[in-house]
Amino acid sequence: MKFSILKKLILLTVALAVVMTACGDGDGDSAVDGPTIRLRGQDFSEAVTIAEVYGQYLLAKGYDVEILTPAGFRTEAIDGLRNDELDLIVDYIGGSLTALAPDAATSADPDAVVAIIGPAYEEIGATLLDYSPAVDGDAFVVRGDSPATTISDVASLGYVFGASAQCFERPQCYLGYTDPAVYGITFAETVTVEFGPLLGEALAAGEVDAVVWNTTAPQITEQGFKVLEDDQGLHPAQNIAPIISTELLDAYGDQLRNDLNELSAMITTADLLAWNTETDIAKRESDDVATEWLEAKSLN
Amino acid sequence: MIPLLAQAANPIIRWEYFIDEWDQIRRALVEHLELTLYAVALGLIVSAGLSAIALRYRWTIAPINGFTAFLYTIPSVALFGILVPYFGLSRLTAVLPLAAYTLLILVTNIVAGFNSVSPEVREAANGMGMSPTRRVLHVELPLAMPYIIAGLRIAVVSTVGLVTVAAIIGQGGLGRLILDGLRRTFWTPMTIGASLSILLALVLDAVILFGGRWLTPWAQRGRSAL
Amino acid sequence: MTVIAQAAVPRDVGVFEWLFDPDSWAGTDGILSSLADTVILCAIVVVVATITMVPLASWLAHTRRGEVSVSWLVTLSRAIPTFAVAGLLVPISLRSGWGFEPWPIFIALLLLALPPIFLNTYTAIQQVDPGAVDAARAMGYSETEVLFRVELALATSVILAGVRVAAVTVVATEPIRAFLGGDGLGRYVRDGLGQNNDGLVIAGAILIAGLAGLTALSFRSVERFALPDGVRRLATTATR
Repeated sequence: MKFSILKKLILLTVALAVVMTACGDGDGDSAVDGPTIRLRGQDFSEAVTIAEVYGQYLLAKGYDVEILTPAGFRTEAIDGLRNDELDLIVDYIGGSLTALAPDAATSADPDAVVAIIGPAYEEIGATLLDYSPAVDGDAFVVRGDSPATTISDVASLGYVFGASAQCFERPQCYLGYTDPAVYGITFAETVTVEFGPLLGEALAAGEVDAVVWNTTAPQITEQGFKVLEDDQGLHPAQNIAPIISTELLDAYGDQLRNDLNELSAMITTADLLAWNTETDIAKRESDDVATEWLEAKSLN
Repeated sequence: MIPLLAQAANPIIRWEYFIDEWDQIRRALVEHLELTLYAVALGLIVSAGLSAIALRYRWTIAPINGFTAFLYTIPSVALFGILVPYFGLSRLTAVLPLAAYTLLILVTNIVAGFNSVSPEVREAANGMGMSPTRRVLHVELPLAMPYIIAGLRIAVVSTVGLVTVAAIIGQGGLGRLILDGLRRTFWTPMTIGASLSILLALVLDAVILFGGRWLTPWAQRGRSAL
Repeated sequence: MTVIAQAAVPRDVGVFEWLFDPDSWAGTDGILSSLADTVILCAIVVVVATITMVPLASWLAHTRRGEVSVSWLVTLSRAIPTFAVAGLLVPISLRSGWGFEPWPIFIALLLLALPPIFLNTYTAIQQVDPGAVDAARAMGYSETEVLFRVELALATSVILAGVRVAAVTVVATEPIRAFLGGDGLGRYVRDGLGQNNDGLVIAGAILIAGLAGLTALSFRSVERFALPDGVRRLATTATR
């Protein structure tokens, strides 16, 4: 059979279109009546696991849940809530504070932080639910052989400081460490390091002497580092808390609120550390880790 | 210290991952293919328009060339970052830059392809009483096709590589596996993501190569005479 | 040194206001110093790629070796995701005691620079008019003379075009270095993304695109000036 080049081109285009449509996936349905709850984890293992825990928990309770591919960080999560692309996010309250009220005074008392961010979330049409006892705070980390025990001790050591780009503009982070009114540390040099295991690699290799990490990073004990005491109380409270679209919450009523509060109350700091050890050290997948935890607590 | 590439929990590739996470891998592959095809298709449509303008009004060649070359130099991470405030973490934010990067090579090759049609051929077509549209579609396009296909091959292969970056704005694809591996210093998904990305590029390249031969059987005759 | 640049860029600053402020350019963390970091690394990468690939590709093309494998090899290297390679190399480099820089980013960029230079050199030499080569042989030229005085001379403009493509690609990709523990011009994009400062991202992108554009323009003028008319005509058939 002989085709002209034009007919061949049309044929190819049609074939391609058929393949593309065939690749699309269908969606399933769930039990409890109400709108779909769209949930997306921030793009680091702990947040991905947390999103899976909340998502799978709600699924097991019969809600219609869509767990989206993890993407972005706090800003993208809050923007997603604001632009109605997401219905539920889980964030660290101190982190929310820096994003929503960067000029507000920070506090190590979670209730004080919540008093500020609660109304701020209401302004964007979202409701802050009860915070969990689980805390993943900021950690000023040094190698195990460092003479320092508190952050203040670092002032005289001439350390090379490594942290993510975010840290360098935050009063609760780099600006606070260098501010003479707080810690007044003069670092020998600063290096911007992507947040995550690269911080530990840089610290172990001696490229930097101190990094800002999170307290539930399993590599801290794994690699023999230590967390210095925040003697000036610079770091804010960092309990995890779900934030949900008010419209969606109203659609479901108190049942959803109670279900979420019940789950938040059950998660502990030790759980976060255990999850991270599974995902980052044993290299297991977040969704499996979440399923196992929910099974152990008979929540699914 | 344990050598980085020989830890028990973290070998270069952990084969069970293929079975356990097959759903994730398959989805990443499909997303990667979709993003590549959307971006190249969009790039091809825009390039066709730009090339038509460049061929019709010769003086526009330099500015069009300059513009597409400029787009090509913007780093992908930055371009994604610039578009996120406008289009959110959406597929559009991923596809627009990827399509923009294909313009330079596609426009260059489409224009070169049509320029390669000798004036005598054009005259002959006119002499046979063909309308301009008919002449372009039935005479010039087939003759320009080898150039367009050569450009398309480069565009597709480079796009497959670039799609991996789209993972930073949550569009999945094989970059998702690479990023996941980077975030956890877990080699398996990185190895799989990078290898599959290279494999996909080679397969698509071969598909276009043979598709091109099927489209332009006469071009082979010319080549074998060399 | 009183201020660290990372902290010195306010969120509400205008793109051009920041770009035209002399303070943004000065100092150890200023644009000029970042620019120098970027230019030096890119120059080294392009020079290394050129002095390795041009002789190798010339020799292979002259002796007509490896015609099929060459094109596949080039396609393969074009498909390598640069970010993954660099990201994989960083922890390895750190554990080996070589630090963040320069090896991971150098190798990743080198992989990017090799193919266009290799491909252009190979095709250019392969496509030199066989008549010219035969004529030279008939005149008693040795094989080395054929390669240097005929083939390379005729291929120069196409080879330079390959170096230009490599240089522009390297300049436009070098910013990933900022995400791998280094600095350079990419730092503004990194900080802007991390600190949610759109103006800084755009300003950083403008600086990088500007440098890449400047690179392309300088190569084009070199290509134009350095060559005799006869060879320049060949340049129009260059593969990109």
